[in-house]
Amino acid sequence: MRKTIRTRKLNRRDFMKLGGGVLAGAALTRLLPRTLGQSGMIALAEDYSQVTAAPADLSLVGTDGWIYLPGEVPIPGAVNQFYQPDDYAPGLLTTYMFGFRDVTGLSEELVFAQKMKCQATAPLFWVNEGQEYRVKLTNVGLQMRPDLIDEHTLHWHGFRNAWPIFDGEPHSSVRVPIGRSLTMYYQPFHPGTYMYHCHVEETEHVHMGMTGSVFVRPAQDGTPIVAANGKTYDRFAYNCGDGSTGFDREFVLNLTDVWAEAHWADSHVQLPDWTDFNADYYLLNGRVYPDTVAPNGIGLDTNTGILQPHPDHPELQYQPLSSLIECEAGDRVLLRLINLTFGQHAMTLPGLKMRVVGKDATLLRGNDGTDFAYDTHTIYLGTGATVDAIFTAPEDVTETQTYLFYNRNFDRLSNAGGQGYGGQMTEIRVHPAGTLAPQTEPNTNPRL
Amino acid sequence: MTNFFTFMQNRRRRGVAFLMLIIAIGIVLYSVVQVEADEPGVAPSTGMMCTENATATFTLTAKEGYVSLTDGNVIYMWSYADGTDDFQHPGPILCVNEGDTVTVVLHNELPVDTSIVFPGQANVQANGVPMEPQFNGAGELVSMTNVAVANGGSMTYEFVAEEPGTYLYQSGTNPGVQTQMGLFGGLVVRPALGADYAYNDPDTKFNPDTEYIMMLSEIDPLMHQAIERGETFDMSDYNARYFLINGRTFPDTLAPNQASWLPSQPYSAMAHIHPYDEIANPDPALDRFIGMGVEGYPFHPHAFNARVVGRDGRLTAGPGGEDMTEERFSIPVNPGQTADALYEWTDVYAWDEGTFPVDIPSDQNLVTGLFYGSPFLGNQDTVPVGAHSVNQCGEFYHIAHNHALQQITGWGVVLVGQVTFTRIDPPLPNNCP
Repeated sequence: MRKTIRTRKLNRRDFMKLGGGVLAGAALTRLLPRTLGQSGMIALAEDYSQVTAAPADLSLVGTDGWIYLPGEVPIPGAVNQFYQPDDYAPGLLTTYMFGFRDVTGLSEELVFAQKMKCQATAPLFWVNEGQEYRVKLTNVGLQMRPDLIDEHTLHWHGFRNAWPIFDGEPHSSVRVPIGRSLTMYYQPFHPGTYMYHCHVEETEHVHMGMTGSVFVRPAQDGTPIVAANGKTYDRFAYNCGDGSTGFDREFVLNLTDVWAEAHWADSHVQLPDWTDFNADYYLLNGRVYPDTVAPNGIGLDTNTGILQPHPDHPELQYQPLSSLIECEAGDRVLLRLINLTFGQHAMTLPGLKMRVVGKDATLLRGNDGTDFAYDTHTIYLGTGATVDAIFTAPEDVTETQTYLFYNRNFDRLSNAGGQGYGGQMTEIRVHPAGTLAPQTEPNTNPRL
Repeated sequence: MTNFFTFMQNRRRRGVAFLMLIIAIGIVLYSVVQVEADEPGVAPSTGMMCTENATATFTLTAKEGYVSLTDGNVIYMWSYADGTDDFQHPGPILCVNEGDTVTVVLHNELPVDTSIVFPGQANVQANGVPMEPQFNGAGELVSMTNVAVANGGSMTYEFVAEEPGTYLYQSGTNPGVQTQMGLFGGLVVRPALGADYAYNDPDTKFNPDTEYIMMLSEIDPLMHQAIERGETFDMSDYNARYFLINGRTFPDTLAPNQASWLPSQPYSAMAHIHPYDEIANPDPALDRFIGMGVEGYPFHPHAFNARVVGRDGRLTAGPGGEDMTEERFSIPVNPGQTADALYEWTDVYAWDEGTFPVDIPSDQNLVTGLFYGSPFLGNQDTVPVGAHSVNQCGEFYHIAHNHALQQITGWGVVLVGQVTFTRIDPPLPNNCP
C-alpha cells in the first residue's frame, strides 16, 4: 500500500496566525520518529519500484524541434548565410529548439513519435494548493543531434522545501537519460505563479527552450468573497481573505529570448561562448508580436500525437499558446508574468493601472498583515522571477478598446533588429459586456 | 553541450575538458571532505569569516596579486590585504558593532593613487577632515574621495557605524577600473540587539552557525591583462567573461574557507544547514548578498524562498515598523547594493522507502549526480558502476545560482560561474562525519 504523509509542516507565519503551538507540536512529533535513529550508511535496494504509486497526472517528453520566428539574422562576415532562418529548418519553420511536449494519454509508440516535435513554450499546467500531482518526464532524445546524448530533468523553479530528487538539479539528484522516464511528485502548499525548466546543461537547455509555466491555485478558490469594489469573486491569485486578489480572467505571459547564433550553433554541432550572449528575439509564450495575438493552437490529434495549428497560422504549429488578452468592461484580469530570459525587463501597460499583488509566489503582505501591494503602469521583472498583477478594465465600454502591453526596453520590440513593432508585445482588447463567455482556462478568450 | 561532470557521457571536447574534469572533481571531493574536517577552535570551514577586533581598527593594504579560476585561468588582480598579510581577494570582511568608531588605515602599494569609499556610512573622516571629492589644479575630478598616493601612501578613514546591516567598501579612485580590478570588500555592522540578529528587530534572529556572505562580482580578463601590462583599457570594450562569488568560481565556491590551494581567495560560498526543527534548529540561516559588479545579478536559491529582511543596511519595514519583508526565489543583487535574506529548509514529508509517493527507477535507468545519496534524507545508495558520488551521510544538496544563466558560464566553459550549493544534513543525531 502506498502511504503518503499529508502533514503540512507549518511555517512560523502559520504558527503566529494560529496563535498557538499545539498543532505544530503534534505535527512535529509525528515527523520525528521517521527521521531520528535512521542509519545513514545502510545501502538500500537500488530499485524502489516495490512501492506501487499512482499514475502520472501529466506526462511530458523532452526533445528537440523547430519553431517559426520572422526576420533574418545574418552570420557576420559570411555572404548570404544566416543564423536565422536556419538552413536546416523544415517547411515554414525557422529556428532550432529544445523543449517539452504534453503526451498525457498517448501510447508509448506515439510518445516516442514526438521526437523533434517539441513546443515553445512548454505545456502550461496548474495544480491546486495541497493537491498531489505527478508529472512523468520521458527523454525521447534529440533528432537533430544524434551525437548529443543529453539527459533531461524537470525543475519546478521556486518550489519550497523541495526534495532534491524532485528538484531536477542534476548534481544533487538524478537525471533522465534517453529512452527512460522519471515521475516527479508535487504537493504544493504555496499558491502563486512559478515556472519550470530542464536543469541539465541549464544554460543551453533553458535558452534552447525547455521552459514552461506552472501556477498553484489557492485553497480559497470556490469561496465567494465580496471585494472592496462591491463585486463577488470566487477565483483568486492568493489566499487574500478580502477578495483583493479576486479575478475574472487570467493570462500567463512567459518571457523568453532567442539568441539566433546559439540556436544555429546547436543545429550545426557548434558551441557558442555564452558570455557573448546577445538575444535577437524576445518572446511571450514562445511567440513574437504580432504572432503573440494569433489564436491558440487547436490541440493535439490523439491518433497521431501531432500538434494541430490554428488553420490561419500553420507556421505556429509548435507555438500553441496565445498571449492575446480579451476581457469585458469592468473585468478584473490577472496577469501572471514569468521571466525565463537571461535579462531583466520592464513590462508597461499605458492606459490601464495594474496592481502588483504578488511576487515569486508570495502575496505582498507582511507577517503582521501589512499590505504592500501597489499600483503601477510598469512592472520590473527580474530574471527567474514572477509577478502577479491585476488590472481592472474600464466600466464604460461601448465599443472594443485596445491597449498594448509591451516591453519598455524598446530594443526588445524588434524582431531580429528590424524596426517597427515586434518582440515582447501583446494586445488587451476590452469588449462591451455580453461579448465573452466566462473563462474556465487561462489564456483563452471564449465567446458567448 | 557538456560540462565538467557530464562530459563522460558525451563524445566531444575530450582533451582539455578531461583534464579540467579531473581537477574539478578532485577539488570538489577534497573540499566537501574538508568541510567536515574542521576541529573545534579552528576557523569555521564554511560560513562568514570575519576580520574583527576590540577597537574596530583595521589596516588594509592595497596591492597586486593573482586569483585562480576553475577553468584553469589565472587572473591579475588588485585587492586589499589584511595589514601585512598576503594578498587576498576580496578584501577582508570587516565586522563591527553598532555604535563602534571604525578606523580603516589604507596603505597603498599599487602604482596608482587609490582610496576607499564606504557607501551607507555618514560623516566619514579622512585623516581627520570630512572626506570629499578630489580635484586637481585644473578643476578636474581625480578621485571621488581622499587618496592614499601611489607606491607607499597612506590615508586613515574613520566613521561611526550608526546603523546595523550589510555594507560594502570599494575604491573611490578611477573606480570603473579599480573596483573592477578587485578593490572591494564587505562590511558587517552587528546590531545592539545581539550578534545573532541581522537588525534591531526580533524577527531578524538567525542561527549564528549558519551566517553566510555572498559577494557577487565579475571579471573582464582582457581588462586585467591590459592593466597588468600597464596599457590603457578602452572601457567601451568592457565585456565580463567570469562571474564570481566571494572571489571564486564554481566549484571552488564550495571549497572551505582558507582552502590551501586557493591561497589568495580565502572565502567559501557554500552554505551548510540543518532542517528546520522547532527545538533543535528553530532559527533560519542568513545570507548577506552584496552586488560588487556593474550589473544586477538575479540570485536564485533552490528549494526555499528567502525572506529579504534588509536592503542596503536598512530593515525592510514601514515607517511604523510594519513588516514589509518579501519572500523571494529570485533575489535581485544590484550594483553596489546589499540584501539580507533569511531562509530555512523544512523536511515536510520525511519520506522513506515505504512511504515514497512515486516509483523510482533503478539507478541503472537514471544518471546520478555527484552529490546524490539516495532519494531519502539520511540514506545512501550504493553508487552505480562508473558513477561518482561525494555524498557522505545521505545529506541533501540544493544549488543556489545566478539565473542569468550566461553568467554561470565562464569564457566558453559552462558551469564555472556564480554557482554554489546549500548542504542540508540529516537531523541530529546523524552519521555525518
